[in-house]
Amino acid sequence: EELYRLQGQIRQLEKMKQPEKQPPKSSLPTIFVITPTYVRLVQKAELTRLSQTFLHVPQLHWIVVEDSLHKTPLVSNFLMKSGLTYTHLHVPTAKERKLQEGDPSWLKPRGVEQRNEGLRWLREDRRTQPGEDSHQGVVYFADDDNTYSLQLFEEVVRFHTGWRPSRPFPMDMAGFAVSLKLVLVNPDACFDGEAPMGFLESSLLKGLVTIDELEPKADNCTKVREAARVHNV
Amino acid sequence: MPKRRDILAIVLIVLPWTLLITVWHQSAIAPLLAIQKDEGAEGKRETGGQDSKEYCASDKDIVEVVRTEYVYTRPPPWSDVLPTIHIITPTYTRPVQKAELTRIANTFLHVPNLHWILIEDSQRRTPLVTSLLRETGLNYTHLNVETPKSFKIRGDTRDPKIPRGTMQRNLALRWLRETFKNNSSQPGIVYFADDDNSYSLELFEEMRSTRKVSVWPVAFVGGLRYESPKVNAAGKVYGWKAVFDPHRPFAIDMAGFAINLKLILSKPQAYFKLRGVKGGYQESSLLRELVTLSDLEPKAANCTKILVWHTRTEKPILVNEGKKGFTDPNMEI
Repeated sequence: EELYRLQGQIRQLEKMKQPEKQPPKSSLPTIFVITPTYVRLVQKAELTRLSQTFLHVPQLHWIVVEDSLHKTPLVSNFLMKSGLTYTHLHVPTAKERKLQEGDPSWLKPRGVEQRNEGLRWLREDRRTQPGEDSHQGVVYFADDDNTYSLQLFEEVVRFHTGWRPSRPFPMDMAGFAVSLKLVLVNPDACFDGEAPMGFLESSLLKGLVTIDELEPKADNCTKVREAARVHNV
Repeated sequence: MPKRRDILAIVLIVLPWTLLITVWHQSAIAPLLAIQKDEGAEGKRETGGQDSKEYCASDKDIVEVVRTEYVYTRPPPWSDVLPTIHIITPTYTRPVQKAELTRIANTFLHVPNLHWILIEDSQRRTPLVTSLLRETGLNYTHLNVETPKSFKIRGDTRDPKIPRGTMQRNLALRWLRETFKNNSSQPGIVYFADDDNSYSLELFEEMRSTRKVSVWPVAFVGGLRYESPKVNAAGKVYGWKAVFDPHRPFAIDMAGFAINLKLILSKPQAYFKLRGVKGGYQESSLLRELVTLSDLEPKAANCTKILVWHTRTEKPILVNEGKKGFTDPNMEI
């Protein structure tokens, strides 16, 4: 039947494809992307399109942390089929910090425990890896409802916000990346769930750098490399 | 003889070293994750998952880390045997436009033999879309047609509003008919993909085998978790699983069907109806000119899988821009 013929041809072509050789792994640092996720109607849709972006990025290691007591089959199966290098973790949000029905989404910081769990795993995992190379890398926090351009992963993003500029590092969660070394060298730096609204990102960063040490990327912040907080209903 | 003794001595010295090196090499490799070659096609990933090795660390939270060797040519090389998928996407200027187009382009970059027809609802093609299209590396056609203000959603109340994107989709159909007039043998599939939906890569491979019109379920439409065609035991569509007007001729969302290019070319009068179309009947206005219910080919495992989600993007909150605007207006977002 034509369908099988076509499928067979596709398979043959895949085998014949000359893959563009990636540069040797040692020259590309790994980008560790930490994504908290939680069950809701659009979860699979969001994770699907996010994974499609990540598939284009070489040396990306996706750390997905579910806000739940157990790993869900949806996320487990999804990650298995995704084709990405990943780590699947889970940790439930403390009851007091969980948003209640009717709470506006900005009321309580979301994803704190999950991001910290990602950091904990990273520190734990890297400790058991041999060699200096294993400490090379970049850590990025990517929420599952944002959009990322491919150029972003080659650069660190802009530094601009109008809300409470007196924050130590006024930037959105998607607006910074940190070198893995810094994360490993400062094992106590983590997100403070008790920090006032808008200070969540600062609560981690102040444990890692001072403002002068931030490296502006994206052509010295004249280009927007991604659109943050594209919320999907 | 001295020579033979020398050789023996060398062998005896070298042998333990080679053994040592081999053992060290093995022990260095063993804890590394299994490398699994991914052949790129979506269908292959199922078997790939079964072959992957499990890495059990001391931390009980880690289940599995799968490392896949990936091909980074984007888009994939053009094939002479695969039918081309012509994706028709209407778009219009608004703050999240670039984000949406970026995201959807990242999806399309995985699909072989894809031709993206992007039609702007504008008087002129904008620089934003022009450079975005160029930078993606995708095979594309960039068109534009402005919907007259009287037709737009919040326009003249006497004239029934036409759904957004209609004129743009029709322009794309016209372009296809003009471009492939003499070359109707080139196999192609036409799919209407809005820029804010989410698509699985599997969907594109499902639609490639469309003979006339293929259909599948769509999530988050019609006020339901999903709407779906009803398929009988013989694999034929006999109705629609929908709450909102299930008796529409085709109670299906724009993202829920694909049409073989041959059919589009053979029925040159078939277009989306512009005026006098009730809400939810837009898809029917085109499909009734092309097929009957019995012609429909159900995909996605006889319409039991969700491969496309009608996601919507929330308007971003720009209240802090104030009257004069706070951020640099020249910054393209």
